[in-house]
Amino acid sequence: MEGISFLEHFQLWLRAYLILSLFSFLYRDNRFYRLSEHIFAGLSAGYYVGLIWQTVIIQQLVNPMVDNGEWWLVFPGLLGVLMFTRLIPKWSWVSRVSLAFVIGNTAGIYLISSLHGLILPQMLSTMNAVNTDGSFSSILLALVVIIGVISTLVYFYFSKEHKGILGVTARVGIWFIMIAFGAHFGYTVMARVSLLIGRVQFLYYDWGASIRQIF
Amino acid sequence: MEFWRKIMNIDRRWVYLLIALSVTFPMIVVIKFPVEVTPVARQLYDAIDKLPDSSVVMLTFDYYPNAAAETEPMSIAALHHMFKKDMRVVTLSNIPLGGPTIAERITREIAAEYDKVYGVDYVNLGYKANYNAVMHGLANSIESIFPSDYTNTPLKDLPLMDSVKNYDDIGFIYVVADNATVDYWIQIVNAQYGVPIGSGVTAVVAPKMYSFVNSGQMTGLLGGMKGAAEYEKMVGEEGKAIRGMDAQSMAHLAIIFLVILGNIGFFATRKKEGKES
Repeated sequence: MEGISFLEHFQLWLRAYLILSLFSFLYRDNRFYRLSEHIFAGLSAGYYVGLIWQTVIIQQLVNPMVDNGEWWLVFPGLLGVLMFTRLIPKWSWVSRVSLAFVIGNTAGIYLISSLHGLILPQMLSTMNAVNTDGSFSSILLALVVIIGVISTLVYFYFSKEHKGILGVTARVGIWFIMIAFGAHFGYTVMARVSLLIGRVQFLYYDWGASIRQIF
Repeated sequence: MEFWRKIMNIDRRWVYLLIALSVTFPMIVVIKFPVEVTPVARQLYDAIDKLPDSSVVMLTFDYYPNAAAETEPMSIAALHHMFKKDMRVVTLSNIPLGGPTIAERITREIAAEYDKVYGVDYVNLGYKANYNAVMHGLANSIESIFPSDYTNTPLKDLPLMDSVKNYDDIGFIYVVADNATVDYWIQIVNAQYGVPIGSGVTAVVAPKMYSFVNSGQMTGLLGGMKGAAEYEKMVGEEGKAIRGMDAQSMAHLAIIFLVILGNIGFFATRKKEGKES
């Protein structure tokens, strides 16, 4: 960080101010926090609108029509415009045409990709897990997979009351689900701590370098 | 017993202070906890390392700036690895905020260290909305989805893109993500077009990804800052992830301490309250 320019100093101090303002909420709600929060929300919304205008409306709609004569794009453009009829209560039903197209299209695409890329490979992988090499560890792992999958599926079977053998199996399923939640929670804690570390690293190394250079 | 009652009703700001101190302290006093490389991280490293030199690799920046503490070191370490092996890198982002600008900044920084030339050794395609359509469209023609790069230079003016037309010309896709786009890279690009994919994801996303590694749909995985530190270690480029692992470990120790303290306090006060009632 040697030779920091005036503009870079300004950026570093602005970022540090915003970070510390947002962290100040941990002590209690205050004006600095609210100002930073509003700046973030406003900037994000403005940036998003500009980006979508440029990358979707201009690059994927206007340019192909004007430059390449792809005038058929008028129809998807029109479907997009129809979405705005939701703002007029009397005409809001028209937007359902666009929504129907989006929902139908999306469902079709996701159905194929989910079936082909998620459900079938994962089912195959689960079935293959019981192919052991005869070692104790692989047999144990296969047993865990069999018991875990069956008991978890039984837990989500709601057509019959969870009593007797069904109830016992469902309770075993709860244990497997809880262990999975525990792993997710542990990873989530790690992720949140990482975010804090990222900000503290910025304050200590980057902003610290600016402070040392100025003072 | 009064002590435990006070512990159970402690102002949460003392907890925040403890966590803040546990994260800050290792930056002042470097401890250097060991970083062990896990098999899934090794698998990702090997998959890229075994590609022939000058292969074309696609590196995605599918993450928002708030996840950069975990994901940016993964991207940086990967770029070091790829440029050391003289690979050609095509970057893109399916995320509007953060990803495209982070890609532009760090790719140019790392490329400069290896004297790599923009347009010849690496290209940043930038962002395009609707990742589902983008992933399918790239299979036919990259140029049809990205007529120009991040800086609006037409792809036909970039020599690298003369030989990179679609997925057939890409040896490996390394997805760095903080969200569900990685699912679609696997479900669409790997499952339907057969391109090998590895990923570096935030710790929140990581547990779900293990099932893709186990099923063979994903070749290697980095999970959170720990995964980034592992990759930095394998590449031999110590960065923010390895430096951050001290703070991560200290924070985890502090959290474990608080969990134990909270549980003892819970049972101690419950016993007392049970007797009183």
